Amino acid sequence: MKPLPSFLIHRPRTVNEALKMLSELEKAKPIAGGTDLLPLLRDRVVEAKNLIDISLIPELRGIKEGRNEIRIGAATKIKDVEKSRIIFEKAPVLCDAASSIGSPQIRNLGTIGGNICNASPAADSAPSLLVLDAYAEVVSSKGSREIPVKEVFKGPKRNSLRPDELLISIKFPEPFDTSTMSFQKLGRRRGYTIAQVNVAVLLEFDGPVCCDAKISVGAAASTPIRIYEAEERLWNKRLTEEIIEDASTQCMRAVDPIDDVRASAEYRREMSHVLVRRCLMEAWNKARRLM
Amino acid sequence: MEYANILQDLLKRDEYLIVGKKVARTDALDKVLGRALFTADYVPKGTMVVKVVRSLQPHALIRKIDYKEALKIPGVIRVITASDIPGENQIGYALPDQPFLNDAKVHYVGDPLALVCASDEYSASEAVDAIKVEYNALPSHLTVDSALASDAIPIHDGGNIAVKTRIRKGDVAKGFKESTVEVEETYETPYQEHMYLETEAAYAIPEGSDKVTVIGTMQSPFLVREKVAKILGWSLSQVRIIQALTGGAFGKKDDMGPLVCAEAALAAVLVGKPAARIYDRDESVAYTPKRFPARFRYRSGADSEGKLKAIEVEITLECGAYANRSPFWLWRQTAHAAGPYYVPNAAIDGKAVYTNKVYGGSFRGFGDLAMQFAAESQMDRLAEKINIDPIEFRLKNILKTGLTTTCDQLLDHSVGIEECLRRVAEASNWSKYVPCKEGSRVRGLGVGCAYHGISTSRGTPDWSACSLILNQDGTFTYRTGICELGQGSPIGHAKIVSEIVGAPLDFIHVELPDTSSTPDAKPTHGSRGLMLGGTAAADAALKLRDNMLKVAAEMLECREDEVELKGGEAFERGTPSNKISFSELAEELYARGISPASYGFYASPKRYFDPETGLGVNYSVYTFAASVAEVEVDLETGETTVLKVWPAMDVGKAIDPLMIEGQIEGAVSQGIGFALMENLILEDGVVLNPFFKDYIIPSALDTPEIAKPILVEKPYKHSAFGAKGVGEPAIISIVPAIVNAIHNATGIRFNTLPITAERLYDAIRRSRQ
Ligand SMILES: Cc1cc2nc3c(=O)[nH]c(=O)nc-3n(C[C@H](O)[C@H](O)[C@H](O)COP(=O)(O)OP(=O)(O)OC[C@H]3O[C@@H](n4cnc5c(N)ncnc54)[C@H](O)[C@@H]3O)c2cc1C
Repeated sequence: MKPLPSFLIHRPRTVNEALKMLSELEKAKPIAGGTDLLPLLRDRVVEAKNLIDISLIPELRGIKEGRNEIRIGAATKIKDVEKSRIIFEKAPVLCDAASSIGSPQIRNLGTIGGNICNASPAADSAPSLLVLDAYAEVVSSKGSREIPVKEVFKGPKRNSLRPDELLISIKFPEPFDTSTMSFQKLGRRRGYTIAQVNVAVLLEFDGPVCCDAKISVGAAASTPIRIYEAEERLWNKRLTEEIIEDASTQCMRAVDPIDDVRASAEYRREMSHVLVRRCLMEAWNKARRLM
Repeated sequence: MEYANILQDLLKRDEYLIVGKKVARTDALDKVLGRALFTADYVPKGTMVVKVVRSLQPHALIRKIDYKEALKIPGVIRVITASDIPGENQIGYALPDQPFLNDAKVHYVGDPLALVCASDEYSASEAVDAIKVEYNALPSHLTVDSALASDAIPIHDGGNIAVKTRIRKGDVAKGFKESTVEVEETYETPYQEHMYLETEAAYAIPEGSDKVTVIGTMQSPFLVREKVAKILGWSLSQVRIIQALTGGAFGKKDDMGPLVCAEAALAAVLVGKPAARIYDRDESVAYTPKRFPARFRYRSGADSEGKLKAIEVEITLECGAYANRSPFWLWRQTAHAAGPYYVPNAAIDGKAVYTNKVYGGSFRGFGDLAMQFAAESQMDRLAEKINIDPIEFRLKNILKTGLTTTCDQLLDHSVGIEECLRRVAEASNWSKYVPCKEGSRVRGLGVGCAYHGISTSRGTPDWSACSLILNQDGTFTYRTGICELGQGSPIGHAKIVSEIVGAPLDFIHVELPDTSSTPDAKPTHGSRGLMLGGTAAADAALKLRDNMLKVAAEMLECREDEVELKGGEAFERGTPSNKISFSELAEELYARGISPASYGFYASPKRYFDPETGLGVNYSVYTFAASVAEVEVDLETGETTVLKVWPAMDVGKAIDPLMIEGQIEGAVSQGIGFALMENLILEDGVVLNPFFKDYIIPSALDTPEIAKPILVEKPYKHSAFGAKGVGEPAIISIVPAIVNAIHNATGIRFNTLPITAERLYDAIRRSRQ
């Protein structure tokens, strides 16, 4: 192991200041909690001379409920997402995902923006954000744009942001009160574990009929994915175990996992089937209780 | 000396003051508050940094080590290679096969070649990269079978078998003839990494031109002194070793203490400046000793009554690049091959084989963990074949007073395994248990038994020493070479002293082991720290007590046998108001010229051993343990959850039940790791997962409910209060209990560990096809 390379750390107070630093300083990179970035710097996977610490910028922190929309500041701690009343009530699938991340120490440091920008295929918040149809608010000194969170992920540990861009917030439409959701994660132990596979689903019902379904699987392809072909199989149906099984099988065909020290591709494939089925069953059972 | 009785008579107490009680450790608060000092805490900022240049090849001849460029890097002070070593370039433990720095050949990826001394981490690390090593690659042996092939290239002179062992007891052919059922299986166990929180560390300070002091992590300060002196070519008295509080050891620091301290000391002495050597995590995981991998071919036979008749066991131990502790490890496996059962006929053959991989070394359970996983799996299989309950079958064969071990050692007392087994069966409601299924989850119950000879094997003499001083203010200074590694043995010694001299525990200050002032207690390994070290402590305390009683009686004007020592005071038992404090008593001892200090010494009873048959008295005493585990297996994912463990141990005498519970709880977790998840992944001899991130050990959330440990107390008559060691025996029965429970739940039996979710999932799928 090599010692951590030296770098300068800057503490801007505003987003504009941060953006200026990002575009002007040599080899600049944002740092939030640093829980992903510091190991990457140490292992020389990422190089940076100037780290722009965005974790103290007030505009980037906090969870707000707007008109039919929930906004999470990019530098909001995972712990704050996990403990948020708004998230717990409106998007429990994200609350469950957040509480599955690392350990209390990691959740106290790590941020939701970092989890997404780090672009790990196994990022635990990603499947939940994907089924919530979340989008990312990205700005640079030249302007701003909004892209689906899914599109922030470009490949393993590669995001689609330009070096001078900053993720400002993550927003998603407030789910209907009748939506039901589920998050499941499989790892090599119970706590402090990187997912072998993680899955989120969101179901909407019109009476007994499933009128919308969203399924997302992580750690089973080069980025977290939505599996539309499986979702379609649930639309406008009265759900049965057979239909759920059929959709889950569809997911198993759609994923494209790799072999690594954490699991074989085959195990990941089989487990995406199991976890999708479990998520769908759980969400459906919650819905049946509401009906 | 039969301590158990003597102490009771002598102390004349209906109930002990502190022995046997749960007491808060005197070192706990500082550790919890982060105030306790560990080796790295002693290193001043700016101290010279030492790093090791390591081989990138598994097996090769060294043509050249070129460090010219490295010396040009600013901050680099010196590069040390084999030719700079003033003493002997040899650090092998059992065999002289391990150069301290290699100059002729490398034996595994990670073999040390040179030391870099630099003013800081950055230049040191740059220098390590700048050193060019030219090799002539040799074919490498990455499995024992490859190393044993007839055309294998020898990794060390003398071939690839480092050592062999054997036991011949009774007549095995006859035993199998008398058997009506037979089971033969092959088991394999993997490496396990210790993953202690504190990596290896040493800080060496040269004094003048011919002395050095080293503060470091270790388990055996006097072994460290011997090895450091040897490498420096110095006498023992020129080297002073201090063991700092050590953040976990589990055996590996017994192997690594000498290495890390010698690395720091050599650099400090050659450069003439203090030197710090602290291992990185990946270095510790990838290149330092692990639990030895092993393979067991195991054949057992029993008759129709359920009596074990014969075992035939072939042990192939993988040493890795160096023999290190393998002769002792292998011997222990050979001696304990049957498990804690009586078997009249046994043929056991072991060999330890070199390969070009990271080498094995000491680890809690020392061979017995793997061996008894195999033995206990055999017991379950035999029971199944005979169609009797696994516990009933074990009870028919269990070791009892009057029976002999595999080595034909007669057990004449302190054999509590039957009680352990009966009581865990009762506590877990074993006989009423029905394996159940709910959705995709199935549950099952399994049992494991274990025994572990305490301290060193065979005829090796075993002893321990310590010193105790009564200070003028009535407090005591206690010195022992037994190390504090988190386990608390020295606190156990202090409790023994406290009981005997009647001082409150916080009157007794335990000094850090320091070879310049501490008596040699021999190593803190083999679960001997409390049993051997604590008995020496009792000896010292009894001697000092005599002097204290003599003076106290005169001061109190009563008979010696009327004096009670308690709570830091001496008083007349019949008239407690007639009393003096220990400070008054101490002053008087000093004033009268009666020694206020004592030296404690204890030697184990002599043992004998016949290397030809492997028979004899191999261990002075055994600790026994039994556990029942309940697991839940998710048939869809293959995940195993250990729901509950019911542990029992025959500890001789619990000096502190709380510390024993601590040992058991840690052992449950470490046992779960070995059974279910720990998995060192190597490719071409390179460790692929050298960090906590991917070398998975159990987290707090993986720790099951642990029933209140059942402590059976069958005192050992030659140790203080009858105590036996507990650190290692605690883990051995956990692994087979879990493996047997998985079988009970799923019908699937694993001969290879770890049983990861993925492997279990594959097995479930195969069993359905
Ligand atoms: C022990 C441990 C356990 C972990 N366990 C898990 C786990 O179970 N599940 C899981 O998903 N992750 C886990 N992680 C990974 C990590 O903690 C999370 O991904 C965390 O959310 C990262 O957030 P951060 O603020 O620390 O990111 P940082 O390390 O600060 O940043 C990560 C990357 O994102 C960039 N970045 C950060 N914020 C922004 C922004 N606003 N705009 C543009 N770029 C930005 C950084 O430049 C960097 O490239 C674990 C990490 C550790 C060390």
